[in-house]
Amino acid sequence: MNRIFGRFALGPAIVALAFLGAGALLSWFLIAHTLEAKSHAGYDVPRMVLFYSTLPRLATALLAGAALSLAGALLQQVLRNPLADPTTLGISAGANLALVVTTLFFPGLLELGRDLVALGGSAVVACLVMSLGARRGFSPFSLVLSGLVISLWCGALSAILTLLNERYLVSLFIWGAGSLAQQSWVIPVSLLWKTAVIAILCALVMRPLSLLDLGEGTASALGVRLVRLRFIVVGGAVALAAVVTSAVGVIGFIGLVAPTIARLSGARRPQQLLLWSPLIGAGLLLIADAAIQLLAGELGEFLPTGAVTAIFGSPLLLLLLPRLKVRHRVLQLKERAHSWAPAGTNTLAVALAVLLVALVVAAFVGRGIDGSWGFPHAALFGDIIPMRLPKVFAALSSGAMLAVAGVILQRITGNEMASPEVLGISAGATFGVTIAVFVFVPGLAGQLTFAAIGALLVLAMILLSSMRSGLAPERVLLAGISLSAMVDAIVGVLSSTGDPRAVLLMRWMSGSTYSVDARSATTVTIAAAILTAAAFFARRWLDILPLGPSPALAVGIPVRKSRFLLFGLAGLMSAAATLSVGPLTFIGLMGPHLAREAGLVRALPQMAGAAAIGGALMVLADFIGRTIVWPYQIPAGLVSALVGAPFLMMMLRRKS
Amino acid sequence: MSRRALLRTMAAAAVAGHTPAFAQSAPRIVSLDYGLASTLLSLGIVPLAVSDLADWDKWVVEPVMPPSVVNLGSSWEVNFELLVALKPDIILTTPYLDELLPKLKQVAKVVRLEIYAPGIGPILPAAIAATRKLAVAIDRETEAEGFLARADAFFAECRARLAAKSPPLVALVNFMDARHARIYASPGLYHNVLERIGVRNAWTEESNYWGFQTIAIENLSRVADPDARLIAFEPVPADVLPKIMQSPLWQSLPFARPGHLSILPPALMFGMVNEAMRFGRLLTDLLDPKE
Repeated sequence: MNRIFGRFALGPAIVALAFLGAGALLSWFLIAHTLEAKSHAGYDVPRMVLFYSTLPRLATALLAGAALSLAGALLQQVLRNPLADPTTLGISAGANLALVVTTLFFPGLLELGRDLVALGGSAVVACLVMSLGARRGFSPFSLVLSGLVISLWCGALSAILTLLNERYLVSLFIWGAGSLAQQSWVIPVSLLWKTAVIAILCALVMRPLSLLDLGEGTASALGVRLVRLRFIVVGGAVALAAVVTSAVGVIGFIGLVAPTIARLSGARRPQQLLLWSPLIGAGLLLIADAAIQLLAGELGEFLPTGAVTAIFGSPLLLLLLPRLKVRHRVLQLKERAHSWAPAGTNTLAVALAVLLVALVVAAFVGRGIDGSWGFPHAALFGDIIPMRLPKVFAALSSGAMLAVAGVILQRITGNEMASPEVLGISAGATFGVTIAVFVFVPGLAGQLTFAAIGALLVLAMILLSSMRSGLAPERVLLAGISLSAMVDAIVGVLSSTGDPRAVLLMRWMSGSTYSVDARSATTVTIAAAILTAAAFFARRWLDILPLGPSPALAVGIPVRKSRFLLFGLAGLMSAAATLSVGPLTFIGLMGPHLAREAGLVRALPQMAGAAAIGGALMVLADFIGRTIVWPYQIPAGLVSALVGAPFLMMMLRRKS
Repeated sequence: MSRRALLRTMAAAAVAGHTPAFAQSAPRIVSLDYGLASTLLSLGIVPLAVSDLADWDKWVVEPVMPPSVVNLGSSWEVNFELLVALKPDIILTTPYLDELLPKLKQVAKVVRLEIYAPGIGPILPAAIAATRKLAVAIDRETEAEGFLARADAFFAECRARLAAKSPPLVALVNFMDARHARIYASPGLYHNVLERIGVRNAWTEESNYWGFQTIAIENLSRVADPDARLIAFEPVPADVLPKIMQSPLWQSLPFARPGHLSILPPALMFGMVNEAMRFGRLLTDLLDPKE
């Protein structure tokens, strides 16, 4: 009897039943009025809707919930990481981006099957995230961090590609936000057999998988082939996520929530986790979807389920953070990795020269009425140059601030993947603009104010929530990025309603210097000068803090206070920069690395070099964006992201 | 001669006849809105430049925009360097681009016309009022009254033709993918045209101020009338029709019966009087085919 209870834990069973029961009850509210109505002979649309839309939709919710939760449970088990799921590892977003790119540019490939395309995208992202994870011994933080960064990047790029290509095509937004709407049984039936096949395959590796609980060393000693096991299980989870994404779009965080609830309710052994998580997940998504349908019926609004689950799921990440053990990793300060790197001062001189050239080109070269390249016509010189200069200076200041903020973040967190957008500040600014645009409809000044309020609120929240953990660096980053995911989801919901104001948000998120004028350029330039100078003053802290808390305390640096101030400084810089170039801020990741690769190792030279490099890159990105598809314009943030992505991948692959 | 051909000829005549004379006297006008741009043509003025001109043929189609007109770039990110270089006298804009107003005013005189804005109500009357305001601003009042009178006569003619046919209820959609659509309702432009030409909208729910609502396709079952017809506009994504045809739910909707689903060429849903007339003509010709 005890054995049966041990294997068949009562807690998770009760919870799963409760969720499924609640879901069934809500579903009953949805369908009851149809069932109670008398059946007409012949033309009976309500009944048809019930059989071919409502019921398949409920089935799809159950199956998608189960599949994603199984994927989450598998990933959590095999990576030994309680935060892993298809959303946090970027797998769903990868599938979605692959589908968007294929739809827009290679529609022919879709005939091969959406599943294959989605699987390709998921696999690429999974490989990227895993290869980074492998380098770090699959550290939970680094896996989730890189997964979420890639996920946000994929989401932003999907949205921008859609925006640039099709004026009224918002269907891809709907997809990105995950709608469960159905008009036949085709999708649930295919989900059923695909999920079943993958689940059976995974059941075959259950025994070695459960041995992993004994620790990797013991498991290998007992004959578990770790690499093969990881490959099979991760592959299965990726396939599950890809199947769901290709069918209904991105459904956020279910795969994180369900296994967590299963574990909290007492599922400890892997078998229990893998059995109960899918059932709990199925119940959860059923509840969410039925509730959304009831609510949407009331509001008369279209609400995509996936984005709504993300809005409620991402705060869970914040709540789960204290459950993770934190180890501070000491940043390896590499001494001049490359022989080509010249001495520090020379490097700085070169960086400044490049910056100067970039400034001159961006300010004076442009395209004329007929699209020809060249300097502005003499008669127009006085009109056009004052128009370009604010953009050039806004790009310069933002790039410099992001890069310096990146240096600060990477140094105090010891995490070379840290960058301003990872902190969530940009997300806060975006959220502020969202409220401004949808609630108050103010002009540009109002939007800027709201962006600043949003950015500072997020900063305050991050600082407060991580105060208890002594501002443990990785926790701060993860808190920031889960906020980004939430804001992303909210914007997803708003965009998918098809409201034309969503275009404003999309524009904001794509990071364009378009609305910069002389006044805002001056403001951001002054802010850049002051904040960068402040960062330069903090150079001693930044030289010592990367060595870890103990050495810092030994030389008399107040660790808590200095971290607080530095996070605040980086936050302000990110907020100010986001206001002009949007939340896609890969410059903040690239600048510090390029400076260090070029031989600028200590804090002050690294910050100065990063500022010059970041500024130059952003100025060039802005210039390219303004001229390359004349008379249309690509936002600077997108251009810099397009450059930043390969850079990010390079960094992920590089052996340390 | 078909109505469309007639209109095209008229537009061409207007352009051909007037352009040379305007070269000296006509104001240099830039339009940042499709509806205002087509209204300019109807008032006998060829705009200097129009935003998002590249997609004109995809969404507006007619009146044909003369090749001399310059593309100003994205409609929400008008290219200011180009705008300045063109040295316009007047820039036409809408509340949609209000955040650009201060910068636009530095370039030229700005005429801001409200057609689509929160609380503005039915779109067609707003578009007619905006046409008159525009005419005053550019001194083309006679042309505007003529144009609006032609529009009135045109709608009356459509109404008369359809009255003889006792037209069915129609639901108007743009398919977004195989599971979702935008449906057009009051207070939108399409809906106002339906009222003018005496056709009832099968979709009775009130929508946003742009006049549309995003729905999942099964919600089309909320259309109560069993004889209603579904009118979808191009562009229809390639996979939509094959996929929905397979759905038993779709098969049970009234629209699945032969002749109850029609695909019409694009007609701008966020336009003004010209776009209303194009929609009215497409719909009337569909419901009352002329040989």
